[in-house]
Amino acid sequence: MTGRVIVITSGKGGVGKTTTSANIGTALAKAGHKVVLIDTDLGLRNLDLLLGLENRIVYTIVDVIEERCKLKQALVKDKKNPNLSLLAAAQTRDKTAVNAEQLKEICDTLREENDFVLVDCPAGIEQGFQNAVAGANEAIVVTTPEMSAIRDADRIIGLLATKEEISSTKLLLNRVRPSLIKSNEMMSVDDVIGILEIPLIGIIPEDTGIITSTNKGEPIVNDENALAGKAYRNVAQRILGEEVPFLDLDEPKGFMAKIKNAFAKLKVKV
Amino acid sequence: MLLEKGFVKNGFIIDLSNAKNTTQLVFELSSIMEHPDVKGKNVCLKLGGSDLKQSQLLSIKALIESMDSSIAFIDTTSEQTEASAVSLGIMVSKVSDQDIQDGIVGTLPDEVSEESVMVKSEEISLDSSGQSEASLSSSHIETTEGIEDIYNEISAEELSEIIPSEDSEKTYFTKFAANEGLLNDEHSKYILLDTGNVLPEGVEENSTNTESLPTLYLNQTLRSGQTVSYDGNILIIGDAHPGSEIIAGGDITVWGILGGIAHAGNAGNITSKVRALKLNAIQLRIAGLYARRNDTLNVPYVQKSNEFTPEVAQIEDGKIVIYKKLRRD
Repeated sequence: MTGRVIVITSGKGGVGKTTTSANIGTALAKAGHKVVLIDTDLGLRNLDLLLGLENRIVYTIVDVIEERCKLKQALVKDKKNPNLSLLAAAQTRDKTAVNAEQLKEICDTLREENDFVLVDCPAGIEQGFQNAVAGANEAIVVTTPEMSAIRDADRIIGLLATKEEISSTKLLLNRVRPSLIKSNEMMSVDDVIGILEIPLIGIIPEDTGIITSTNKGEPIVNDENALAGKAYRNVAQRILGEEVPFLDLDEPKGFMAKIKNAFAKLKVKV
Repeated sequence: MLLEKGFVKNGFIIDLSNAKNTTQLVFELSSIMEHPDVKGKNVCLKLGGSDLKQSQLLSIKALIESMDSSIAFIDTTSEQTEASAVSLGIMVSKVSDQDIQDGIVGTLPDEVSEESVMVKSEEISLDSSGQSEASLSSSHIETTEGIEDIYNEISAEELSEIIPSEDSEKTYFTKFAANEGLLNDEHSKYILLDTGNVLPEGVEENSTNTESLPTLYLNQTLRSGQTVSYDGNILIIGDAHPGSEIIAGGDITVWGILGGIAHAGNAGNITSKVRALKLNAIQLRIAGLYARRNDTLNVPYVQKSNEFTPEVAQIEDGKIVIYKKLRRD
């Protein structure tokens, strides 16, 4: 078995790389695939928190590299889904504790026994980024519809293009607010694709549910009702090769429509 | 990778270790690449001790790829070149003397050099407009001519609407936004930075003929953080995104949207020009004159292709002047 190694990267911090990794990983595992998530953000690890696995980490990726444990021992199984496991980053070390070759070796070993290896990349384009992309053969670039995030994504796409091993680079547009797009205050999805010129793999709407999901350590894909959860499930399906239409994010009700609706209901009652 | 113990399968080793500077290196390389035996092959570059920046190596890579060849690996003794290669994903290896003795090295006839190249560029120069770039390969020539054709079409179509002028170039373009000496004029597209002439010490204004150098032809999009620098003229088929940098000794022509920084004539050549289908450069620099895009200019996030208006920026009377194709409306 040779699984796919996908790096999730963005350049800019805070656009939702880790949230995306946790959610896509969970969604793929729920669909019955064996998934390993690797957190390469050494010193600033978060992925374990999002999955609620912080208290289960015994060994980290640095322990594996420095041969204090076997790779299998360092994989933390998810609470709910046995298909999903996490290779956590060391919190007490920094990016220089690992090099690109070592990470590539880990990815190559893991892909033999898993369908998907998702690498959560740290922000920036330094050592951490170079490490994270070393073993990957696909990339997902996460960005938000802001000029700063897009500029950084553009830089990252340029850097990824120089990596021969990476055969496909797709775009995931996060934190989209349809109401702002409508009022021309936010760049539209078409605008972003027009600038970055790479294929789109998903559009995730802004969802306050993400905050509570992060705090609880429960990925939002597990919430059947959340729109962002649905969007992430769709991304996972697209990764699996299915053709899923993009969510229609146009909120059917604006503020005025909501009021009208409320009045209409009242009338019925009266 | 087609790499096995230091020799290149289906390829050539090109020894450029004697080149004195980058220009000579690129020139020699392009004359060798011109040879029909080299086209479509893998090449290994022996670069000796030349220090190449990432951008220079990227340019060389692009040059080789534009000839349908690819770099198998490079052999260098310079640490800087090695670092640049690694960051570009080019393999670094050593060519052993054994490989050379075994006859893997392609020996090229001496005639393939300046002479044949010069003839070709002369042919192009005979073109009516006189603004063609010197090109080396046949594919280059085709493309350059393609551009001329389109300009000629534009002129034929719209000639009746354009005030006749003695200068042939001005029949295609009309003056639309010049600095006209008014710094901070809110109506001009570009505003000269009040830095005076910022040429480095020892560099003087000149009007070197950059047509004698081969043109760097890039068929790709330049993304943020990518830079291309070259002593001759640069032609880019694609967009130059904001955050990218193009630095040329001669002219810069972008067949697309120019959104980054463009510096034409960086060695003081005041006859250099910047041309683009859409001139949105965040900074426009020609020789020692630097201009920034006007803040009041609301450049939309995405340019629609039906809004393209080819523009040319050049120096006139110590100012940067932009010429724009006349609109029909």
